[in-house]
Amino acid sequence: MENITPMDARLALDAVDHARAQVVGEVGLPRWYWWLMSGAWLVLGVVGDIGPQWLAVAATVAFGLVHSTIASRRLSGRRRTDRLQVSAETAGRRVPVVVIGMLLGLVVVTMAAGFALHADGARHPGIGAAVLGALLVGVGGPDILRLLRRWARA
Amino acid sequence: MTPPRFDDLIHPSTRLSLVATLAAADWADFGYLKDALSLSDSALSKQLAVLEQAGYVVTERRLDGSRHKVRAQLTAPGRTAFDGHVAALRVIVGDASAQPSSGAGAAARTSGSRAADFIRSNKST
Repeated sequence: MENITPMDARLALDAVDHARAQVVGEVGLPRWYWWLMSGAWLVLGVVGDIGPQWLAVAATVAFGLVHSTIASRRLSGRRRTDRLQVSAETAGRRVPVVVIGMLLGLVVVTMAAGFALHADGARHPGIGAAVLGALLVGVGGPDILRLLRRWARA
Repeated sequence: MTPPRFDDLIHPSTRLSLVATLAAADWADFGYLKDALSLSDSALSKQLAVLEQAGYVVTERRLDGSRHKVRAQLTAPGRTAFDGHVAALRVIVGDASAQPSSGAGAAARTSGSRAADFIRSNKST
């Protein structure tokens, strides 16, 4: 220990933080979650727009049930891959809140897009808005979550 | 808070990064560790064996489909030794009052370049 200079110790601490940051980078949700969510977004939009009301209600309830089942296992963000499991301490407790907040925000965006398309005289505003929401979730989901986590320091 | 205790077994850069990675995870797959630390199979096996012999790490062989996968996990003594080592490094740096960096934000803000220098300078260890 006598041979360790403060500079050596600082470099060692940086290596520790670097290793930890790499693990933190693994916090998130699996890719299939985003594609599943994107598909559900689209289906709900189509059913809500052209399907009967009972089907829209049933699809929404089914979506809620499936999502809550997945969420209870994956929303902590600790099991994005099957290569490691991030510790609860490292992942923090705010990831589920950020994910739910993000999804609610995207619902608002989808609704706003639907109203805008409706006001513009589109024939199927619900489908148009759902396509937008599905694209945002499917393609941009991981990046949006990463950005929100950075903002929320989660 | 764990009392500072410099650990010669953990300090070599490769082993320190390996233990730090495992300290942030519940478990990690051999392949993940190999990629994260840019090590060969044999080099990683060697480092894991040293840590396992010291009782700091346990490895578990699991059957995944037709392939065997190895998972490594830090033990409680390993975590205590790591925390003590980090505390000792902070004392050396003169930053003993600082809390160990925790949370995603703190870790993500860290520059990797100096860490990479440290790893390069000790690569032979």
